[in-house]
Amino acid sequence: MDGQHKQFLKKIVWFIPLVVAVYFTMTIVFGEWVGQDYRKNLTYIKGSSGHVNTRLKDAGRSEGVDLLFLGSSHAYRGFDTRIFQRNGWKCFNLGSSSQTAFQTDLLLSRYLDKLSPKVVVFEVYPEMFCVDGIESSLDILANDETDLGAVKMAMEQNNIRVYNTLIYGFYADILGRNKVFKEPSVKGEDTYISGGYVQKKLKYFRKEEYPANEWEFNEEQFKEFEKILNTLEKRKIRIILVQAPITRALYTSYSNNQEFDRCMAEYGAYFNFNNKLTLDDSLHFYDRHHLNQKGVEIFNNAVLEIIKQHP
Amino acid sequence: MLFNSFDFLVFLPIVFILYWYVAKNDLRWQNALLLIASYYFYSCWDWRFLFLLMFSTLLDYFTGIKIKEAKTKQKKRSWFWLSIGINLGFLGVFKYYNFFVSSFADVMDGFGWHTDPWMLNVILPVGISFYTFHGVSYVIDIYKDRIDAERSFVDYAVFVSFFPLLVAGPIERATHLLPQIKAVRTFEYHRAVDGLRQILWGLFKKVVIADLCADHANAVFADTADPSGSSVLVGAFFFAFQIYGDFSGYSDIALGTARLFGIELLRNFSFPYFSRDIAEFWRRWHISLSSWFRDYVYIPLGGSKGGSWLRIRNVFIVFLISGFWHGANWTFIAWGALHAFFFLSLLLIGSNRNNMDIVAQGRVFPNLRELVSVCTTFLLVVLAWIFFRADTMSDALHYFGEIFSPSLLTKPSVGKIGAVSVALLFLVFFVLMEWNGREEKYALARFASGWKRPVRWTFYSLLIFFMGMYMHTEDSPFIYFQF
Repeated sequence: MDGQHKQFLKKIVWFIPLVVAVYFTMTIVFGEWVGQDYRKNLTYIKGSSGHVNTRLKDAGRSEGVDLLFLGSSHAYRGFDTRIFQRNGWKCFNLGSSSQTAFQTDLLLSRYLDKLSPKVVVFEVYPEMFCVDGIESSLDILANDETDLGAVKMAMEQNNIRVYNTLIYGFYADILGRNKVFKEPSVKGEDTYISGGYVQKKLKYFRKEEYPANEWEFNEEQFKEFEKILNTLEKRKIRIILVQAPITRALYTSYSNNQEFDRCMAEYGAYFNFNNKLTLDDSLHFYDRHHLNQKGVEIFNNAVLEIIKQHP
Repeated sequence: MLFNSFDFLVFLPIVFILYWYVAKNDLRWQNALLLIASYYFYSCWDWRFLFLLMFSTLLDYFTGIKIKEAKTKQKKRSWFWLSIGINLGFLGVFKYYNFFVSSFADVMDGFGWHTDPWMLNVILPVGISFYTFHGVSYVIDIYKDRIDAERSFVDYAVFVSFFPLLVAGPIERATHLLPQIKAVRTFEYHRAVDGLRQILWGLFKKVVIADLCADHANAVFADTADPSGSSVLVGAFFFAFQIYGDFSGYSDIALGTARLFGIELLRNFSFPYFSRDIAEFWRRWHISLSSWFRDYVYIPLGGSKGGSWLRIRNVFIVFLISGFWHGANWTFIAWGALHAFFFLSLLLIGSNRNNMDIVAQGRVFPNLRELVSVCTTFLLVVLAWIFFRADTMSDALHYFGEIFSPSLLTKPSVGKIGAVSVALLFLVFFVLMEWNGREEKYALARFASGWKRPVRWTFYSLLIFFMGMYMHTEDSPFIYFQF
């Protein structure tokens, strides 16, 4: 290697740490002083919708449950922990907005040992197998600690928004921002219920029609999902896969629901409540894919029956 | 594989290390490595089209030798037309077949004869327009006895498929690139650093300027069903910077990457938005394509010799072909025709070569006349971009209709105020940087060269940070890949 090569490589080696230092510093500066609308690839919102901050703090305080609910907003807005507790099941709802398998994996790595559930009810909404899960990662990074599991998730997703939010999250953690932050238990129409459930003020949905559509699945999500199932099976935890009901109009607008059902059935006990319950799009929903409290009660009682019937 | 992707960030250092540290001092190994790397780079899009690229390369390599060895003029001509015919035939089938068939069907419909044309469901092989033009110019140059046929297949194949220029140019000439491929290359520190700096500036242009502007241009042209005149004008303004940042950014990355391997590519852009008239704009925009058309179409047609009508005809032909080269759509032809009109007005009064120097050369600020000329030229270019950006001719005409309607005076809708402010802020920075560097090869070439190293490097690091903060998080291909 001649002098010019050496000089070039030496400069590169010196330049890289400077880039890293400037990048980290500027990310923190932007996170602190630049408004959300002006920093496109840094989304750090504490206490975003769905009470994820409160729920994760609640999860940190909980231990030894019978039932653990996982999944997207269909889980934390669909499984009312009070109903299950009334029936003798100690439970926790670890759902979060748009939670995909990547975030489920991270949350389990943090809370599974402590919660140590006997049964996991995993809500599998097809859309969560179609998206990249970035929004949900940002939500969790901003509302929970940033540890090695978070770094692993960021690397798996390999997305600059996740990296930027992770960098700022580290800084915010060092300052103890997460511990200091207190999220109100009532936010707008949402009320946080101890154990992870979020109850929406009773509302009714105005029926709508939807154009024909098709789920376009993301293979990466299935791989990650299988990893989670393996982890749970190794720990001898019973798994029940559940698809929560959505409005009939929305459900039937997708042409490949059966393909998804067949796929899920291969993983084990799977129940699609869109086929099991007869609900009214207006009376039992508050939007096109979330049950209102009346719908939740019907749905949860049906889930309880399933749990009892499949010991 | 995109230049603005993580894959390329891994690919480039690997090829660089193998090239300078494993295949060092051995030209044959270096060229073989470049060829393998280029074919791998190309196959990342669709490995099936690699065969098309190989076939096109083999065809021109073989016919080039045959033309040179032909004993009679007739044989020479036969080999020449065989190569041109097959090259343009491929381009015609993959790029223009559906356009011709559907246009023919439309004409028939106009006469009341309904036809049900047989359309091809083919993907356009990325870079086909570029590597076909490489091959065609090579064969023409041999036919015209300007160059010798290349005997080394590897060297010729590197000329056609050198990965920095393979998918979107610059459109190289055998007279310029082949001698470099055949010459021993030595590593030079300052060239390599300059290459990295040009890559950095190119990435900034693409990832920050072009992609931020794309959001607002798309908000008007892709997402709005019926934009107002003011929205169209603002959308076209953003599109002007989108396409410039995108394509000149790509070219900067290509030139910088090639320089890392000791190869200089043809310059493709020279600050075109500081042009004082349309003729100057075309001497500064996509230079390698403009000069290709000048040398292989305009001059063979007679160029500026002959009477006015002949000149008008030649200019029109070149601009129409140039428009059509960009895509199989009437909008591109209309874009070319509009530029032909702009250009002809200068040609006919003999002022098309008035502005051969750099605007405000040696001065910081332009004078009023220069400022007005630059702004007027920019406005004409922006209006022409509306044809380029529109999906159909009826869309384009509708957009123009809106511009010349009272809706021009309404508030434009181009997205959230925060995002628009960020884009405008970066555009101000970008235009100032470009203006400051307009006498250089690229804006960042000598910017901050007098600063102390830690300050200069911090500035470069800030550019990298802005890329990370504002880049598109999903794949963002370069616009010219589709051509």
